[in-house]
Amino acid sequence: MPNIKLVNITKQFGKGSLAVDNLNMEIRNNEFVSLLGPSGCGKTTTLRMIAGLETPTEGEIYFDDVCVFSDEKGINLSPDKRNIGFLFQNYALWPHMTVRKNISFGLENMKWSKEDIEKRVDEICQTMRIEEYKDRYPAELSGGQQQRVAIARTLAPNPNVLLMDEPLSNLDAKLRNDMRAELKRLHLNTGSTFVYVTHDQSEAMTLSTKVALIKEGVLQQYCPPLELYGEPANIFCADFMGNPSMNFVDCRGVKKGDKILLDCKSFKCEFTPNDKIEVPEENEYVLGIRPEFVNITDKGLKATVISSLPSGMETTLSLAIGDVNLSAVVFGSVDFAMDSEVTCNFSGDRYVLFDKASTKMLSLGSLKVTD
Amino acid sequence: MKKRWNKIKTFFSKPYNVLLVLFLVVLSFLVVIPLISIIRDTFIVHSSEKSRVHQAVGTFTTYHWNRLFNSEFSKSLLWDPLRNSLVTSIWSCVVSIFVGGSFAWLVSRSDMRWKKLLTKLFIFPYIMPSWTLALAWKNFFKNIDVTGSNGIFYSLTGIQVPTWFAYGEFPIIVVTGMHYAPFAYILIGGILHNMDANLEEAAVILKTNRLRMFFRITIPIVMPAVLSTIILVFSGAMASFATPQFLGLPVRYYVLTTELYASINGTNPGVGYILAMLMIAISVVIMFINQKMIGNRKSYATVTGKSANISIFHLGVWRTPISLIAFAVVMCMSVIPLVTFALESLLSYTGVYDFSNLTLSFWIGQAQGHDTWQSESGILRNAEVYRTLWNSIKLSFTCSLGAGTLGFLAGYCIVRRRGSLLSKTVENLTFIPYLIPSMAFSAIYLSMFATKRGIIPSLYGSFAILALIGTIKYLPMASRSGVNSMLQLSPEIEEAGIIMGVPWVKRMTRIIVPIEKTTIVSGYLLPFISAMRELSLFVILVTANNRVLTTLLLFYDEKGYTQFSNAVNLLIIIVVLFINFTVERLTGASIEKGVGG
Repeated sequence: MPNIKLVNITKQFGKGSLAVDNLNMEIRNNEFVSLLGPSGCGKTTTLRMIAGLETPTEGEIYFDDVCVFSDEKGINLSPDKRNIGFLFQNYALWPHMTVRKNISFGLENMKWSKEDIEKRVDEICQTMRIEEYKDRYPAELSGGQQQRVAIARTLAPNPNVLLMDEPLSNLDAKLRNDMRAELKRLHLNTGSTFVYVTHDQSEAMTLSTKVALIKEGVLQQYCPPLELYGEPANIFCADFMGNPSMNFVDCRGVKKGDKILLDCKSFKCEFTPNDKIEVPEENEYVLGIRPEFVNITDKGLKATVISSLPSGMETTLSLAIGDVNLSAVVFGSVDFAMDSEVTCNFSGDRYVLFDKASTKMLSLGSLKVTD
Repeated sequence: MKKRWNKIKTFFSKPYNVLLVLFLVVLSFLVVIPLISIIRDTFIVHSSEKSRVHQAVGTFTTYHWNRLFNSEFSKSLLWDPLRNSLVTSIWSCVVSIFVGGSFAWLVSRSDMRWKKLLTKLFIFPYIMPSWTLALAWKNFFKNIDVTGSNGIFYSLTGIQVPTWFAYGEFPIIVVTGMHYAPFAYILIGGILHNMDANLEEAAVILKTNRLRMFFRITIPIVMPAVLSTIILVFSGAMASFATPQFLGLPVRYYVLTTELYASINGTNPGVGYILAMLMIAISVVIMFINQKMIGNRKSYATVTGKSANISIFHLGVWRTPISLIAFAVVMCMSVIPLVTFALESLLSYTGVYDFSNLTLSFWIGQAQGHDTWQSESGILRNAEVYRTLWNSIKLSFTCSLGAGTLGFLAGYCIVRRRGSLLSKTVENLTFIPYLIPSMAFSAIYLSMFATKRGIIPSLYGSFAILALIGTIKYLPMASRSGVNSMLQLSPEIEEAGIIMGVPWVKRMTRIIVPIEKTTIVSGYLLPFISAMRELSLFVILVTANNRVLTTLLLFYDEKGYTQFSNAVNLLIIIVVLFINFTVERLTGASIEKGVGG
């Protein structure tokens, strides 16, 4: 079970368009890593370069200490020599072969003995619960069943690394949820390293042990999902994670001892950083407030309810405090009349202060309304 | 340096890159260089021109250009044939769109009777050789003043049709138009058939009357199909050789192709090569217009939906008469020509349609000796006929094997590297032969391969040159269908095999070919049938050595052996139909599906 290391990987398509820009990351043994980002950000390209389906323009890729790709040394190991499995977005099942043949075709090619193949096919079909479909053609299966067959085919040769390219995007919402749980179990049972491409932040959050968030070919942040959610490295990361997304309030801040006084136009507040930070006397900031940290309380800022969307488990509110709009989440089965007045307040120390110019995170801290 | 070497190594480790480079080299040699060589040929003296140019063979001369553009012969060599070509082509478009379009509308939008049978028969001219209708016309209307005997029409009615009706411009237009009517029917009918009824229903709900709806909605929507038909028919008619040869020659009515044939086969090939270049230029212009016009309107064609209820127009009292007229027209296009060939081939003396005059001797008779048609034995006993039949089949097989295989491989590597300059170049190269009219293309090959070129010996009169030109000429058909089918196949299907270490050959034979089976078969079928009924591509390249059935037909026709030419014609049609239906039955692939491809 190898560590995968990408060193200065760059991929250029044609002239000018940079798909992946100087990417460095290490995927450790037995991790479940998601490559996350908006479409066209280079995540699929990265995955395909790890697989060996795409050739990087520059850089090196290591599986443990074995160099599988290096443009300098002229090494480019073909995909089949990297001991990986690849799960395609559209499954890529061979339509003219039965389920059994789809699974065994690769194994035959790896010169497995007939008995071993038969045993493995039976075994993997049992794991994936597709035994009764073994003699069907892919066209005769539902989307979910095809997905299982694709996974079975990928897992059959016991790959060390399983690479997945948005494998759940073709399934309906309910099936997708089931498959997520199943993939997580599969990760535990096989003990392989999983690399997973998705554009769905909640999928990345729920599944992975680590998320690599990519924007326009550049790695933005690479860390466990909850850290990415709670301590985003910049405004892009903060905005990409979470639904409803984080509130961003433009403000002007003046330093006052350890604290910073923020003028958010419609209200003023005092930001206390959790750790000491160096900031100029006066600066433009962006204050990041997660909707769940906007509390509806008896005292505090007066706000008007613009919309209230109850979903049963929680209610998403859109509030107007003067010119500033904030979304808030209230847990439990509650509803608010539209256009009614509420008061809200801030508590805890999970508010994020960004530098407006660089969009980088400065610090987490607590927030106190002063006016 | 090392880095560059690595890049090259990576590049060539991909089979599709290797294929692309191979295609680039081979097609440059077989398509681009010949195009250059023909330019040279318009400036030198050829051996048959020694006596007229009074210069040594192979020396530089502007004689050909002068003669064609700047001499008293310009009119008869260039301007008249050019005018005739344009006139017949334009009017053929009108005829085919009128006939095919009306038929398409009747089939998809009206309650005409016998739709199933009529549509089957209407497609016939498309499968049959292009001269079928021309020969049938001649059999029907031929005229004692020109050919020395009267046709079937005279013997049925006692009316002798005027010469303009029997030969020349008028019949060429009608016959070519009818031959291409199935194109119009398939292209226009396809849109009418798939057009979402909602488009018309929306108009009905907005209280549009029927006539207005037809002109303001239906017609504009089929317009792109009409335009593609015009392009196809026009370029087809410009390039057609057999029809003007059969119907124009008796009254000395020349078009560009027949003039080209006469020049190259006669004493002034240089002029022929210039005419060939002129034809290429015209067809490039047409294609350019086509791309400009249809390229950005194509999106129309995809305004289709699976509509269950197309509104049917009720013909009312006209239902039966219109159905009968349609039936008569369809019969004239499909069955009657075959009957006339059979009949003509059985006549002991041409022009006498009488039971006592019927004989089987042109099919199974013994050779009588002497220098008349009787010197030939009946075609079923004739060794020469069997030799050319076998040659035709062998040639068609070779061309279809070559074009089909290369086309599929070209489609594969073009799609895999789509977007790259290399892939674009190869795609354009495979398409060039489509732009070049058959007759001009064979003129090019004649100029290129008539002499020894490098390691390639002179191929004139050999089987190889026919096989080569057929393969390259039909490559666009096959590579088009190859590209289209590969575009529909996601590359992941192949990558799933790469991951498992399946080698390239096995990926092709075990994964891609089985999936693409039907399109591959039609990629083979189309070139086969085209080669079987091809005349203009081969006619200036054959000698007595490598004669094929179609040129044998022309040979008999030129000699005036009417019975033999009709018999051979029937033989060709039977072979073509037989193969078409067998393959259709066996594989489900059908030649109609390739129309307009």
